[in-house]
Amino acid sequence: MKAKKALSHLLRWETMLVVLLVALWLVFDAKDASLQAAKLAKGRKATDVFNFTKMLNGMGPYLLYSFMALGMALILGMGDIDISVGAIAALSASVMGTVYGPFKKVMAPGLALALAILCCVMTGAACGFLNGFLVTRFRELFPMIITLGTQLFYRGFCYLLLGGETLQYKDDTVWVGFKKLYNGSITLGDLSIPTMLIWFLLLAAVFFVFLHLTTGGRKLFAIGTNRVTSRYSGIRVDRFELSMFVICGVTSALSAMFYVGSVSATVRADAMVGYEMYAIAVAVLGGFSTGGGKGNIIGLILSVIIFGVMKKGLGTVFGLPDSTVNLAVGAVLIVFSLLPNLLEDLSNFRRLRRQHAQAQLK
Amino acid sequence: MDKKPVKNGRAGGFNLLSFVIEHREIPLLGVLVLLLAGVSIAVPGYFSGNYMNILKNSSMNLVMASGMLCVLLIGSIDISVAAVLELAAAIAGVLMRDSKISSMIGMFAIGIGVGALIGFVNGAVMSFGRVLPIIVTLGMTYLARALIPMDFILGMNKIARIDLTDYFKEFILHEYLGIPVIVYIALAVVVIMGLFLKYTPVGRSIYATGSNEEAARMRGVKVKWIKVLAHVICGGMAGMAGIMRLGYYNAIEKGAANGQEMYVIAACVLGGVSVMGGYGKITGVVIGALLIATIDSAIPQLFMNATMMKEFFKGILILMAILLNVLLQRAATKRNLKGRDI
Repeated sequence: MKAKKALSHLLRWETMLVVLLVALWLVFDAKDASLQAAKLAKGRKATDVFNFTKMLNGMGPYLLYSFMALGMALILGMGDIDISVGAIAALSASVMGTVYGPFKKVMAPGLALALAILCCVMTGAACGFLNGFLVTRFRELFPMIITLGTQLFYRGFCYLLLGGETLQYKDDTVWVGFKKLYNGSITLGDLSIPTMLIWFLLLAAVFFVFLHLTTGGRKLFAIGTNRVTSRYSGIRVDRFELSMFVICGVTSALSAMFYVGSVSATVRADAMVGYEMYAIAVAVLGGFSTGGGKGNIIGLILSVIIFGVMKKGLGTVFGLPDSTVNLAVGAVLIVFSLLPNLLEDLSNFRRLRRQHAQAQLK
Repeated sequence: MDKKPVKNGRAGGFNLLSFVIEHREIPLLGVLVLLLAGVSIAVPGYFSGNYMNILKNSSMNLVMASGMLCVLLIGSIDISVAAVLELAAAIAGVLMRDSKISSMIGMFAIGIGVGALIGFVNGAVMSFGRVLPIIVTLGMTYLARALIPMDFILGMNKIARIDLTDYFKEFILHEYLGIPVIVYIALAVVVIMGLFLKYTPVGRSIYATGSNEEAARMRGVKVKWIKVLAHVICGGMAGMAGIMRLGYYNAIEKGAANGQEMYVIAACVLGGVSVMGGYGKITGVVIGALLIATIDSAIPQLFMNATMMKEFFKGILILMAILLNVLLQRAATKRNLKGRDI
């Protein structure tokens, strides 16, 4: 009995995600096959648009917000929320673009780029620090309200740095370098795996170890479950929370570097608007709730894949416009946070009815 | 030593600090007056030339913020208001373009109806499904934003001047006694909302639910339905603001009100509304919305290269104002507690 319960606990959310992924995959694959058959019947050349290799190769755009989602997972695990990640990423990219030019004049391009990337990461960390500082010092306000405010501030800072213009790296090596960061792949037999996916999985592995195998992760979920109790049991809540916000800022800066590659090594002040929503949606579908105290990195990785498959499938296989994809994202977000609660209600209801029936029998 | 008479556990007589705690909007009013005075001195003739613009620009924010007040009072939050605004305006605009409706009341009914429907879904999922309000309204933002460019609503088009009837375009900015209708609408909404929250049993139930849900439930308040109602009001107000926006700018397209929800929430938080629920007044919200509109209109007057600086200073000023408000509250509470014999 106990083993059964433990098993059900372990498998509940992640199994649901796997089932969802398989269902989506089968639907898209069947639709793709029927499209191909229709084309062949008409005597035209048919291309397989949805299969494992194509999906793996085209994972790039769906991985941009996955780094942010990892950082967001830490924040959500503590029961906080950070709406400013998109603005942090835009600001980091802006800073990187702005400082590269002056640096290049005084030193070798490679060194200048390394320094610019360092500045990018430092900006992310500094923004995260400001968020964390304000959140831990102003407990009267929700983290949401504070990060709404800081988001406006960071975005405004971007406009101050760049104006309304598009900043372009007028430099071939850097341009190619960033493109490679985004587009590059490693060939492994028949498959070519995007390097971005490997970076993501590596980072996810680090986060997995931290969240589920170290005391740091235990502390994090303890804070998410009950902040006051955690403080009385000797966790330095404020300091810990602050450092988690800094890590979230750094992951946003990482996203920004890949993003620069995806838009042909240019930077705009209004880049990455709405990415925070994607990051939150991915993390929530992955099992992290804004209530805090629960979540699993495996679920998050699955949810990143589900988002990619869903977008790719709806977009290329069904040929639906982008707005429909967003519709699906919204629906998935609401339904999947509603479903566990409804199931719980149902089981409670049945248990009560059973108890009632037993009482009547006596 | 004879003591002063004690009333309600506090030292008698007039205590400025306790007065400030009771009325959180008073210091904010001071800030607003100071800001207006400062800008008027820096830019001569600023106030007389701009006060009507401030009122007009703040009216939509004000209507949404008074809806948001209800939601914040029950300890929830709604970040889908901007998306709801766009959707309601788009649906009403399309119906007017296809000459399905032409009357003023019809437009407002459609707008409020669409908003209230979305608010109902938000509230029902949040209240009966026990999903956190941020998640529900975030998902709803996606849904509403995704519905706008669908073929049966806006498609690839947008609603422009020619799609609207002349009467509608005239009406919203038509002036009676030198004040445009849009300001009257905002005023009416604010007054009705204030009276509703303060004097009706349902309004008091909203406060009760926010300050102590369990106690309210014991007292016989239908807590779950009150929560749904608050979200319905918020959605309805957002829809109404959509129609007002349509009349004001005579155009609506996808992403027109992007980021507006921040200013709505900021107006409430500035006005001293507690995000934990149970505390907040409509007067504070009015002053908060006016303050944001003043910041908005003052920055281009103060700085020459306006648009870029505006974003920057708007963000930093709103953040500072919110934090300053909290610090002020803290100082006041601390001083006040010191005065008591515990």
